[in-house]
Amino acid sequence: MYLAIGLTFVLGYLCIALEHPLRINKAATALVTGVLVWIMLMLGQHELLGAAEAAHGHEGVVESLMHHLGDIASILFFLMGAMTIVELVDAHEGFRVITDRITGTNKVTLMWVLSIITFFLSAALDNMTTAIVMCALLRKLIKDKNDLWTFAGMVIVAANAGGAWSPIGDVTTIMLWIGGQVTTGNIIAKLIVPSLVCLLLPLVWFTFTFKGTIQRPDAAAEENAGHKAVSTGKRNLVFALGLFALLGVPLFKTWTHLPPYMGILLGLGILWIVTELMHMNAIETDKGHLSVTAVLRRIDVPSVLFFLGILTAVSGLQEAGHLTDAAHLLDAKLGSIYAVNTVIGLLSAVVDNVPLVAAAMGMYPMEQFHADHPFWELLAYCAGTGGSILIIGSAAGVATMGILGIDFLWYLRRMAFPAALGYFGGIIAFWLLWHGA
Amino acid sequence: MAVVFVIGYLAIALEHPLRINKAASAILTGAIVWTILMLGKDTIFHDAEHADHEGLLHHLLEHLGDIGSILFFLMGAMTIVELVDVHEGFRVITDRISSTKRTTLLWIVSIITFFLSAALDNLTTTIVMCALLRKLIKDKETLWVFAGMVIIAANAGGAWSPIGDVTTIMLWVKGQVTTVNIIVKLIVPSLVCLLLPLLWIGRTMKGNVERPDSVIDHGHHGGGNVTPGERMLVFALGVGALLFVPIFKAITHLPPFMGVMLGLGVLWVVTEVIHMRHGLDQRGHLMVTAVLRRIDMPSVLFFLGILVAVGGLQVAGHLTLLAQGLDRALGDIFLINGAIGALSAIVDNVPLVAAAQGMYPMSQFPPDHLFWELLALCAGTGGSMLIIGSAAGVAAMGIMHIDFIWYLKRMTIPAALGYVGGILTFWLMWH
Repeated sequence: MYLAIGLTFVLGYLCIALEHPLRINKAATALVTGVLVWIMLMLGQHELLGAAEAAHGHEGVVESLMHHLGDIASILFFLMGAMTIVELVDAHEGFRVITDRITGTNKVTLMWVLSIITFFLSAALDNMTTAIVMCALLRKLIKDKNDLWTFAGMVIVAANAGGAWSPIGDVTTIMLWIGGQVTTGNIIAKLIVPSLVCLLLPLVWFTFTFKGTIQRPDAAAEENAGHKAVSTGKRNLVFALGLFALLGVPLFKTWTHLPPYMGILLGLGILWIVTELMHMNAIETDKGHLSVTAVLRRIDVPSVLFFLGILTAVSGLQEAGHLTDAAHLLDAKLGSIYAVNTVIGLLSAVVDNVPLVAAAMGMYPMEQFHADHPFWELLAYCAGTGGSILIIGSAAGVATMGILGIDFLWYLRRMAFPAALGYFGGIIAFWLLWHGA
Repeated sequence: MAVVFVIGYLAIALEHPLRINKAASAILTGAIVWTILMLGKDTIFHDAEHADHEGLLHHLLEHLGDIGSILFFLMGAMTIVELVDVHEGFRVITDRISSTKRTTLLWIVSIITFFLSAALDNLTTTIVMCALLRKLIKDKETLWVFAGMVIIAANAGGAWSPIGDVTTIMLWVKGQVTTVNIIVKLIVPSLVCLLLPLLWIGRTMKGNVERPDSVIDHGHHGGGNVTPGERMLVFALGVGALLFVPIFKAITHLPPFMGVMLGLGVLWVVTEVIHMRHGLDQRGHLMVTAVLRRIDMPSVLFFLGILVAVGGLQVAGHLTLLAQGLDRALGDIFLINGAIGALSAIVDNVPLVAAAQGMYPMSQFPPDHLFWELLALCAGTGGSMLIIGSAAGVAAMGIMHIDFIWYLKRMTIPAALGYVGGILTFWLMWH
């Protein structure tokens, strides 16, 4: 049964990685894999679990499943809440506060400006949302497809680098932060320099290979289509409240000790009521697309279900003992935490980084690496930025691929090298800064 | 804390006059209740064991696990139903309805709803039936009466099936009722609860219904692309997946949401394979990714908020106090549940059942005790008395624009008749 579970997981994993050639949505595969792993765990419980645990029978297995579900649900509800807030701000055109300030047309200047905005934006918001917002913006700024794709590639690299050093910037960092492996002040102080290096090396690379000016799309008029309804005051209010709700989460956690999703729910509730009050006088059809109910329809539920499936599957592997065994193997073969984390980061380009970090969290107990140990910070960095090397390696990449229709092979030829340069540069920077600590 | 809860509750009940979505009030209430609990823990708890962060956070995590299992079940089940709906799978049912005589049609629609809502959830059944009714009936007054009966039938049908209703699912997921037992004990009272209003309304309804003019409308949402074979396959798989959940639980002992996830995963793969041959332009709206956009996320967030808030009250000890109060004041389980059911017409039944679950420990009422079955019946059917009393009612109100006052004048008496009749039947059969 031990082997069967491992095999199911690997098969499921292959289907997820080969989502596009197979044309089967990875969420479907993830859900089925998650359930199958637990069915096998249930059937083979006497063989897999120690005598003491097996003595509890079904009850014990179900109880550990429910415990994992609590953890999983707290991650998913946080994501859902955060995504809703961002979409709400987006629907109110709140992000124009940023986009209206961009006027240059020189390629290199624009790329620096956009990359740095993305870097800091993705530290506050999640990577995927940042990438989505930036892509929507890029389409309004750039006409030529090749230029557009290159800019989008830099957005992916910048979003992943920016997400790594902020506790709320990235799914995997959120996981580590909610799990208590990293703390707010510490991760920012330790990772901001390596993350910046990871962004700057590819940027410098493009500064020397990328020349000329960009051409804006003809129809600048479409920029204003359909959103005359929102006044500037309302737009700024929603933008400020949304940003405050997202940035208030770490403060809320420090103050009340409640998990982050509670802070997000509080913020979403307030924002929801404020927007409903704001639109109360308007006619239903006029403001329909601005209400939270409409915005909720834009949330990426397949991603939520994908995470649900994959996290359930990984928790099953954790219960069955696969992860402890893998930890021992990786430990014995590589030894150094730098080597271990580099391998995890490279793997995260091939497969999704969420299950890898979940696996690492399950693999290394907190007794071995205490909270704020360099191991966890390096893990946050590697898992966050390693995914930039391939387009399907990160959520930001997959989202961009969907929106702009970027080709897998084009990205491999054009972006993989600069992204890898940044990735290794960041690890070296981290080593130089903290290996003595 | 109790004050916050009551204010939140009022805002939820007064959703429409206030024009603030109840999901917003619910999540805000949930977050504030826990914030107060966390900040005021020293004044709420007197023993050192409770008064630390770690202990409270552990309680919260446990509640969230339970809440997650309910919400993911609902999300999965709703997705499967929507998927069958976009494939026009429900035409297997609607094509069989050809009568135009009012009384006959009313009986047919009610009985179909009753059994459909036992297999699917009330909300979805009501949405499907309302969509269908609009294609069958032209006159507004008749349409509303039919919709009213659909609400009653959906609630009655949901009460006796373990997967038919949110509250019954909650009781079933937590192990207070078991599959076979709840069906055996509640099917007759539920039927009475349906039949009494049906007789009452049937008496006053005469003549034939007039169908809407455009019959072409029937297949308007892209159904032309789906072949009958594909439609049958999706319908069979979807209904199979939903009906399979209790069986899955019996075999593997895993919680129901795992069964629904498996069903959804399989259905997802099958539909993607079916549509692979066709371009995204033709079949885009049939894909699960498109269907997921039709899921009612505000309801999911509403349940999340309200369940988190009730969890907070439970940990703080309010519910135990209320249980003792209700126990002392009423004593009899029939009276207590009658009161809970009547309350559930005014406020939502989910938090009431959650409160009752938190109030009465399993050591007091063991699994399959009469109390839990009566609770399922009362909380499930009591909500029919007002249009905002049940999820099915709220959905029907949204789709058909039924007036609150109209429903009160026209449907409340028959619904109350059925409710009391159902409780009496249960008492006669099992006391």
